[in-house]
Amino acid sequence: MTELLRTRNCTVFYRSDAIAVAVSTTMLASGWAGGQGVQWVDSPIDAFQVSYSDGIFSGFLLWGSAESSDQYVSFTGSHVEYGFGVLCSGSWLMSTDTYERHTYASRQSGPLVPITYVEGDKLLFSLRGYWTKEDEFTISGDPRAPNQHFSGIVTQRPSALNSMYLGVQTTV
Amino acid sequence: MASPEQFRTRDCVVLVKGDTYPVTVSEAMASAGWRGGQGVRWTASVKDEFLVGYGDGSYGGFILWGSDETSDRFTSITMNQPSYRFAVQAVGSWLFMTTTYERHTYASRQSGPLVPITYSANDKLLFSLRGYWTNENEWSLSGDPRAPNTNILGYVVQIPTVITDNFLTIQTVI
Repeated sequence: MTELLRTRNCTVFYRSDAIAVAVSTTMLASGWAGGQGVQWVDSPIDAFQVSYSDGIFSGFLLWGSAESSDQYVSFTGSHVEYGFGVLCSGSWLMSTDTYERHTYASRQSGPLVPITYVEGDKLLFSLRGYWTKEDEFTISGDPRAPNQHFSGIVTQRPSALNSMYLGVQTTV
Repeated sequence: MASPEQFRTRDCVVLVKGDTYPVTVSEAMASAGWRGGQGVRWTASVKDEFLVGYGDGSYGGFILWGSDETSDRFTSITMNQPSYRFAVQAVGSWLFMTTTYERHTYASRQSGPLVPITYSANDKLLFSLRGYWTNENEWSLSGDPRAPNTNILGYVVQIPTVITDNFLTIQTVI
């Protein structure tokens, strides 16, 4: 295969469904990376609004709020200025660097233990909305456990060959 | 109301198209070939590519066109896919008919005599251990440690009969 240029948080190989949504004030304040998992939240106005996923999925955001590839172009800052994101659902084939690299347990108390991904692993969203193979509802003792919001599958494990991007086929 | 006659000259006859993208196929698939409708699973590669191998019941997708279908003979696509080691993977929501399904129970295929599988409309469909569509959970039947197989990938829309040339019609949920 020819070299793939991965200059964004999400590199798309097959595009599926996308819709513009309003993002929460929390997200506007803190920003987000492309590939961020989101969930629907209530809105005081008539808007379809999302916020950071805590394991539940509604989809993922295609573009980050301030990616380096968007700097010095007309796009710079427009997500945050207008309070929107592009929500992706359906069957995407993409690579992303927005995934959990270390186990939930080790992120709480250290030392950090890498998560090993292999092709075919089922993916969920972590408690902060990153792609992961761990069921963080169960691991954290969340009363909603087990997390059955299966949202994707690993198509390509992160390695030096792919700049440590995780290949994902979505099932959102 | 009866449908007009359907021409079923391929392994998969598509009524509603879902999503598709090209993928690299494994050496094993390229050398042994595959049928249209074959289930596949993602496989590790030593290159930066999206590689699939024969399905074994895992989640994945199916291959739209067989590697050497009769309908492709004497056309420019003849043996194109195995030569270039690619295939068209299908995912998402499809409505299609296929001949690539298990006709006989897993148990009877091991020791015979062959016992037909009875399909009914709305049956949940999985991939068998060789990546064919089936309503049997072959992980459980074979004692596979991954059992039970919860990777539901489709539903039966129309059962195989002489009316349908024994094609199985499937709605996919991949």
